[in-house]
Amino acid sequence: MNWNAVLPELILGIGILTLFLVELFLAKKHYKFLSVLGFVFTFLSAYSIFFVNYPAKVFFDGFSIDGLSLVGKLFVLALTGLVLLASYDYFNKKDSVYNELPYLYLIATLGLMIMLSSENLAIIFTGLELASITMYILTGLFRKDYLSKEGAFKYLVIGTTGTSMYALGTGLIYAASGSITLSHYSGENTLFALGIVLIISALALKVSAAPFHFWTPDAYEGAPTPTTAYLSTVPKVAFYFLFVKLLVGLMSSFQDWRYVVIVLAVLSMFYGNVVAYAQRSVKRLLAYSSIAHAGYFLTALTAVDKDLFTALLFYVFVYGLANLGAFTILSILEKNEGWTHNFLDFKGLYQDSPLLAALLALFLFALIGIPPAAIFLGKLGIFLGLVKTEQLVLGVLFAIASLISAGYYLKVIVYMFLYKGERRFKRPEISAGEAFTILVTSFLVVLLGLFPQVVLNLLTSRI
Amino acid sequence: MELLLNIAIFLPLVGAIVVALVRNEQFAKVFSIVLSGIVAIITLILFLNFDFSKQGFQYETYLPWIEPLGIGYHVGVDGMAITLILMTAILFFAVFVWSWKIEDRPIPYIALFLALETACIGVFAALDLFLFYLFWEGMLIPMYFIIGFWGHDRKVYAANKFFIYTFFGSLFLLLGIASILVYGYLETGKLSFDYFFHLQLEYPFWLQLLAFLLFGLGFAVKIPMWPFHTWLPDAHVEAPTAGSVILAGVLLKMGTYGFVRFSLPLFPEASKYFVPLIFTLSVIAVIYAAMMAIAQTHMKRLIAYSSISHMGLVTLGTFALNPDALNGAIYLMIAHGLSSAALFFGAGFIYDRIHSYHMDDLGGLARYVPYFTFAFFLAVLAGIAFPGFASFVSEFLILLGTFKNHPIWAFVAGIGMVLGAAYSLYMFWKVMLEEDSIPEERKEKWKKLKDIELHHAIPFALIIAMALIMGVYPYPFVKIVEHTTKLVFGG
Repeated sequence: MNWNAVLPELILGIGILTLFLVELFLAKKHYKFLSVLGFVFTFLSAYSIFFVNYPAKVFFDGFSIDGLSLVGKLFVLALTGLVLLASYDYFNKKDSVYNELPYLYLIATLGLMIMLSSENLAIIFTGLELASITMYILTGLFRKDYLSKEGAFKYLVIGTTGTSMYALGTGLIYAASGSITLSHYSGENTLFALGIVLIISALALKVSAAPFHFWTPDAYEGAPTPTTAYLSTVPKVAFYFLFVKLLVGLMSSFQDWRYVVIVLAVLSMFYGNVVAYAQRSVKRLLAYSSIAHAGYFLTALTAVDKDLFTALLFYVFVYGLANLGAFTILSILEKNEGWTHNFLDFKGLYQDSPLLAALLALFLFALIGIPPAAIFLGKLGIFLGLVKTEQLVLGVLFAIASLISAGYYLKVIVYMFLYKGERRFKRPEISAGEAFTILVTSFLVVLLGLFPQVVLNLLTSRI
Repeated sequence: MELLLNIAIFLPLVGAIVVALVRNEQFAKVFSIVLSGIVAIITLILFLNFDFSKQGFQYETYLPWIEPLGIGYHVGVDGMAITLILMTAILFFAVFVWSWKIEDRPIPYIALFLALETACIGVFAALDLFLFYLFWEGMLIPMYFIIGFWGHDRKVYAANKFFIYTFFGSLFLLLGIASILVYGYLETGKLSFDYFFHLQLEYPFWLQLLAFLLFGLGFAVKIPMWPFHTWLPDAHVEAPTAGSVILAGVLLKMGTYGFVRFSLPLFPEASKYFVPLIFTLSVIAVIYAAMMAIAQTHMKRLIAYSSISHMGLVTLGTFALNPDALNGAIYLMIAHGLSSAALFFGAGFIYDRIHSYHMDDLGGLARYVPYFTFAFFLAVLAGIAFPGFASFVSEFLILLGTFKNHPIWAFVAGIGMVLGAAYSLYMFWKVMLEEDSIPEERKEKWKKLKDIELHHAIPFALIIAMALIMGVYPYPFVKIVEHTTKLVFGG
């Protein structure tokens, strides 16, 4: 038995069990300790990735490790660690500490990692479910809060629909090809086509692409903000790695899915960007922005092209960093008494806490795609790939959608900087963990824009 | 020498960080003047050492940067670029001197302007398309906040409009860059953002047309050409004086610079193909904007429309595809950068003293601020291409060159120049000389007006001196500008 191949999962699993046991004996005031312990385990798990030999297959080929999935796991673990560090003070201040939280985050991450490390559709399903169910719980954390309950319930109902679609798709693929592993399947078959469309739809639902996005705004708004930060970054990264793997493995034998993805992409870009203008809450606005971003990402999945995939995965990762930074700042602000994320609360934020306002502006400018923020490079890469695969029209649509999006991000910046505040808020305290997360994300967002080689080399050599 | 160019680009950015960290107002002001002065001197040294008898780019630096994407750090200048950089450095120096007495949040103000200077100089020096785009977008955020923070009543509207318009153009520019990049990749198997790499490639006609339109849209918004010009009057009216000066003096030139640097050499056939389109838009800009300027009662709006009109003349000269006209067009970029800066300084001075830009509130100021009147008169003369000023040489060259191939267009554009003299002199007359419509109590109040101060006089003196030198003794400047013309037309 080759334990080396499952080293990261193993360490994370041990971490989860440790947290689970320790939590039984600890009072609520030690919540911070638990979070930090969780961070230590994510760090160890991420570190162990460098010692994994790949490619390798274990558990009767149920578990297969390749270079790309390792990079995916690294990204996922990095973001999870940052979320954990950023979250503890929020829950302490909100007086809603449940010591189970840190390991719930870890379980969701473990699910995503399992999902990434298999070529068997059934095992992918197991990982997917493990992650999804944990995320439903995380969303509904504020049990007495109506919005949180509503968000969790919507997420549960729609998310379950998604996973059942996935299961049905797997069944159909099995019926058509006699196998549930990712392998090249040649031959026209209606069942197979239907199965793939179902799987694409299920994944599109998970990455909140229109028209499967209905859970997104409510779940994002209702969830505690650190959880929103988690939901909008970690699973996204994992799902796009999975998407790439599916496209390379399973779907290269089947061409019609392209049009499905194009339709999803265009719909999401424009729906997300246009509806974002109607929002009065910045948190909800960012939810719509993530729908729009799902559209941008999907444009890169319309052709099997190495450069497109590299650009996409880079883009998703730096998008995750910027989004994480933005949501962390929202969660810091939310610690203020009476903060609602309404635009009016953001009025004149620059006067009260200039640093937070400036950093949020940095993340928002990054999300617009202004260089030198790294997201610009992601966009550029996708542009290049789209032109290369002769999809200039899609590239133009992408550009137009990006332009539309500039308006609502700017609206937040305008409210923060250019209007005078009517209500003054105290300058919120920033905990060490939050400071660390913001520092790391903001530095990486700019640095990776200027020196992206590290991440790009990691990706290009493995796709 | 190569190092000096890099220092000139990045010194202001370092300065911006220092200013933001030190957080001392008096220090920031002195520091910004000294720093921009150093940059101006460096660029002057570079300019004087520029060997215009030698073909090609000079002071080149090349460093590998993001190799998987074919991006390198590549800067260098030719005649046009070094002259524009010199003008930029002088204008920024003038702006910092002018801002000596600013009271509203001076630290972020100075930091943003310093960051803006890096972006502006960088645009003119970049020889890598990615680097170019980086600087091109880099000016967006500082300028956005300069208009948004220190602007007048409708600053938020103007700042947003500025941002959205320019971003709109930039995205198409980006698509254009992507399209030629991919063509280069498919043709040669090498992904490269390098300018010279693309200069060697011969694009097929369809690609030239496509890329010309994509690039052109990006440049046209920035210049701005009719019908993409509507952001400019708003941005100018709302921007603070220094913001207007940089906007008119430097940012607008980036668009025409882009046409000369990229569109003409990279897409020569498409440039020929689109001459009628560009001519039509240019002449509409020249005439329409001049007519609009006549109708304005707001000083800054009038100067803004005159900028659009003059930039129309620059695009006309650029696409006359004739060495004389192109010389004139490049010359006018610099001349107009100086004259419009001087005019906006004038409007800014009047606003400082009387707190109005509206000509109805003004009149007969010559009696109260005689020294300023003299400076402003010279600025107006520089603006209307009076002989002896740089714009006279440039506009003459443009019309001369255009007339050779397109006499009718040249004639029509000439009408625009006459209109230009009309509205500029009308403005001067209304603001400075006309006394009948001024109520008595206002005259009483104005008796105490303070005339021009040293921190106003230095910018005026610098700019007008440069315009005069370039107008009276144009020979070396034309030689330097011709350096670029030769690069473009080959020969």
